[in-house]
Amino acid sequence: MQRISIDPITRLEGHGKIEIFLDEEGEVANTYFQIPELRGFERFCVGRPVEEMPLLTNRICGVCPEAHHMAAAKAADAVYHVDPPRPAKLLRELLYSAFFFADHTTHFYALAGPDFIVGPDAPVAERNILGVIHKVGLETGGKVIQARKFGHLVVEMIGGRKVHPCTSVPGGLTKGITEEQRQQIEQMGRWAIEFARFSLQAFNDIVLGNQAYVDLILGDLYTHQTYSIGLVNEKNQVNFYDGKVSVVAPDGERIGKYAPNEYMDWIAERVEPWTYLKFPYLKKIGWKGFVDGKDSGVYMATPLSRLNAADGMSTPLAQEEYERFYSTLGGKPVHQRLAIHWARLIELLYAAERWVELATDPEITSDHVRIVPSEKPTEGVGIVEAPRGTLTHHYWTDERGILTKVNLIVGTTNNYAAIQMSTRKAAQSLIHRGQVTEGLLNRIEMAFRAYDPCFGCATHTLPGQMPLEVTIRDARGEMIETIRQFC
Amino acid sequence: MPKRTLILGLGNPILGDDGIGWRVVEMVQPFLTDAALEADCLAVGGLSLMERLTGYDRAVLVDAIKTGKQPAGSVSVFTLSDLPDLQAGHLSSAHDTSLQKALQVGRLSGAHLPEEIFIVTVEVRQVCDFSEQLSPELQTALPLAVRQVMEILRQGVDFPNS
Repeated sequence: MQRISIDPITRLEGHGKIEIFLDEEGEVANTYFQIPELRGFERFCVGRPVEEMPLLTNRICGVCPEAHHMAAAKAADAVYHVDPPRPAKLLRELLYSAFFFADHTTHFYALAGPDFIVGPDAPVAERNILGVIHKVGLETGGKVIQARKFGHLVVEMIGGRKVHPCTSVPGGLTKGITEEQRQQIEQMGRWAIEFARFSLQAFNDIVLGNQAYVDLILGDLYTHQTYSIGLVNEKNQVNFYDGKVSVVAPDGERIGKYAPNEYMDWIAERVEPWTYLKFPYLKKIGWKGFVDGKDSGVYMATPLSRLNAADGMSTPLAQEEYERFYSTLGGKPVHQRLAIHWARLIELLYAAERWVELATDPEITSDHVRIVPSEKPTEGVGIVEAPRGTLTHHYWTDERGILTKVNLIVGTTNNYAAIQMSTRKAAQSLIHRGQVTEGLLNRIEMAFRAYDPCFGCATHTLPGQMPLEVTIRDARGEMIETIRQFC
Repeated sequence: MPKRTLILGLGNPILGDDGIGWRVVEMVQPFLTDAALEADCLAVGGLSLMERLTGYDRAVLVDAIKTGKQPAGSVSVFTLSDLPDLQAGHLSSAHDTSLQKALQVGRLSGAHLPEEIFIVTVEVRQVCDFSEQLSPELQTALPLAVRQVMEILRQGVDFPNS
């Protein structure tokens, strides 16, 4: 058996590694996507006051600390049995919409762009954000920086500081915003809507206007029939901050919705011997292996699954794009994984519209931003949608609010089984008779890059070198060739 | 006119030795009496790191490094051009780009970014366990790294590893 290793994955967080095993004929027998797990987080948390969690968990990850901050704050609300006042919920969601906007912008221009704007077979040296800027125009680089700046400014105004917000506490927020800040936030939000529309137009012109890309997106190579999950409001529209998690079958049937405190009735975790990470799956359906179909409990939690799991968007422009998305791709649900990139841009527009909607709510400048908890703390679950999938925090405390147990299911973990399947399918379709080229390897990476997986999350040390390494072994396991390239 | 300088600790402060950059900068901070010198700590790379460097003439980054080629606690100094332009590590964000490319993006957009960037690194072994404690080897290295940062600030760079 031959063995091909892509190690570590380029343009992805952490020291991930894909091992591709070939059979005697040089065809792909199997693939394993392995990632190192950070250890001891639960032990690290136990014994601390639960109100520290919104500050502590946002240090798990340098990419989406805002998501951990919000999930932790909601779990801490639940632990103290306190429902924050409406202005606090509005402000938290406003911060969160601005964060989503900045994060989705970055993903599109820095990660999806290199594949779809520069091209999947372009030289490695050009497949990066600089290549994207050169292709779409210099002024776009400035717009991307501006989009990130505006997102971060809103996070700072409401969250107290950039990137790692610190104002959410059990029962609400430590502070509100002034009318002057509100006006600034609204103004930035209006710019954000135009930027999101510009980005969708660029996707439309460059990607959808190119038949080769459309074929790539719609082809079987990147398609999987799995369940979709995502948070929805009372009208079953996409919401990032609050609501119930909607679960939709591969044929589009909604099999139910669960509230945060019901997640253990719906989600179970599978252990495999070759990785430390667990594979969450739908408990009611059961684990049938890494397979597609309605009988398999594998699900995805991504921008695409959020659209699939909902009945629509709550803002007008995003709703128009939602309808165009499904009419172009042949109806709901959509299973082509590369459509995640398009779905992400629709969410970008929704985030911007929601930002303005919240910034113009009459209650947004209210001082009533916290209800001080008075109940005895026990146990609580908080769920938000992180950009990369549904994020669940579950805490147990003693009567003093000191943590006794912690369980987290982070965005990417939801997709671990689906990523395995996507990686294997791409490898099986693209590697034949042991023939591997750099372009093919990138197309295999594209299979999981769409999910934008985030495992170790800004926690890794500066390495001596980070090559894309391909190791080919013969049927006896002997290494016959190693190809290295730097990215 | 003095060079506006940012001294920046990188890494994750709750991941044991990975937080060495933060610990070094926290110890350096009380010695920074010159108004042109500022210190901060950050757990992000790539575009976010570039954005934090905007407006400065010079930067000193302090970070953990894992080469596996030197004893834990070894202190080294690099310039940005000494390091490969790669898509990982604290300088980079695997969710966007490397610091080197981010700096190019920033300059293309007209941002004022440091021409001189020094990176003081401390060799580490284990960075996958959550902890607020440094290992004994890193505790020992702490004053050495602090001295190295102060040397750079006083007289420009001295490369002990070259």
